[in-house]
Amino acid sequence: MFEGNMETKTTYNPRSPAVKRLMREAVELREPAEEYYVQPLEDNLFEWHFTIHGPPSTEFEGGIYHGRIVLPSEYPMKPPNIIILTPNGRFETNKNICLSISGHHPETWQPSWSIRTALLALIAFMPTPGNGMIGALDYTVEERKALARRSHSWQCPVCGNISNLFRKRSKSSLCIDESMMNKIVNKDEIREKTGREELEGQTDAQNSELKKSKDSSELKEAVEAGQESNQSRHVVEDSLKVK
Amino acid sequence: MSKKQLSAVFVKMGDKVPTTKYDPNVNQDELIMKQQRLIEKEIMDSIPLVGDKEDFSSLEGEYDGDDIYKQKVKNLAKNYKYIRRTRPDGNCFFRAFSYAYLEKLIDDREEFNRFRELAAKSKENLVALGFPQFTVEDFHDTFMEVIDQVGKHHSVLSPGAPAGEDLHKVFNDQGNSDYVVVYLRLITSGQLQRDSSFYQHFIEGARSVEDFCHQEVEPMYKESDHIHIIALSTALGVGVRVRYMDRGDSAEVIAHDFPEGSLPQVHLLYRPGHYDILYPH
Repeated sequence: MFEGNMETKTTYNPRSPAVKRLMREAVELREPAEEYYVQPLEDNLFEWHFTIHGPPSTEFEGGIYHGRIVLPSEYPMKPPNIIILTPNGRFETNKNICLSISGHHPETWQPSWSIRTALLALIAFMPTPGNGMIGALDYTVEERKALARRSHSWQCPVCGNISNLFRKRSKSSLCIDESMMNKIVNKDEIREKTGREELEGQTDAQNSELKKSKDSSELKEAVEAGQESNQSRHVVEDSLKVK
Repeated sequence: MSKKQLSAVFVKMGDKVPTTKYDPNVNQDELIMKQQRLIEKEIMDSIPLVGDKEDFSSLEGEYDGDDIYKQKVKNLAKNYKYIRRTRPDGNCFFRAFSYAYLEKLIDDREEFNRFRELAAKSKENLVALGFPQFTVEDFHDTFMEVIDQVGKHHSVLSPGAPAGEDLHKVFNDQGNSDYVVVYLRLITSGQLQRDSSFYQHFIEGARSVEDFCHQEVEPMYKESDHIHIIALSTALGVGVRVRYMDRGDSAEVIAHDFPEGSLPQVHLLYRPGHYDILYPH
């Protein structure tokens, strides 16, 4: 067992599509994005740790939440399992989260989704009602706000202090993903945002439009598929219609 | 611990949900998932993804004491010499179709060239339709590798095992085999969405073509119906003849050609819920 990292890494079968795919995703996700940072553990390509920012203009704003993504050996044929570790008041900690994009719903998972899709869906789902779904919590707004504040001092036994993880990143001028998130999560936000976006440079705006439309259609599928709770489905659907 | 053992441990860790390190409680979902895995494992252990070519008599043996089916098998035997079985995992149409077609391409260089060109271009078409580029590329790369493995046998200088053996190996490797299935599912979905006004008529209920694709075409293990076959055979320009064998009265085993009026390049046997490959005389 004490062969060192170099040794253990070489034991993955590089011809296995799951290994190839996960290595590709690791490269794609190497840089922290504005609202998430996710990487595989050094010694296990099939377990990743993520850190997400609570969605803005919700009771989770300002919170930082950490968790694990455990990939089945059949990934991407079967969905990732998502486990949140930081207390947040929306999802139970240390339990498989029940989302259409997670391990609870292998029948709705699509292999063309990725770890990134799963994380964006997780963020989009935080402000939706739990409705008694497996592992869902319905804490009050105040309780969630308190947990968001407390989240900064939460420590991961593997990654350490999670609030440091995002700081590695230099601030970029425009965050495409953030504006996309707001479209999905909060309608009122969009009106404010649209004004701001119009001020951005022509090329930037065009590029981000292109990326946004693709991102949101991918995410829309992820969010819609197999979602049992009608209420939260409609919340998400309605906000998606506003483009 | 040897490297091999170590890698086995890691695969297991990826498989286990969640590890005891964080969650000491066993929950019900896990038990259900475990049981489902057990059933899947039983099928996996007993039936290969794609089996060996079997003489037609093996099919006859399946229906001892069942006169209706026996008669049908006899009729079928007039046209077909061998059968090749596939694992019933909901992907059998896609797997049977691609295996049978690629096997045919081993001996047909002209058709191979046509198909390779079409396959190479297919990725851009899917991305243009809005499929996520990053993952489509992943599946497309493997798909092209499998095709090129068939093509390499067209070169006289190519060393190694006979082409058929290589193909058989690739299709029985779960990872690569499933990647081919995923890519064909994406092509099928792309075709349905590109020509949605036509395919809408085939969909029952109020579902849109897009919803149908997300629910019945793109996810793995979802069984295929006429609409999947029409879309895929049209998208690839490959004729498929499906022989439908059910408990109906006619002694004949009805043949359907997809797309209608095409020259069949692949022959499949359909028995309720499952497709196998047929080889004509």
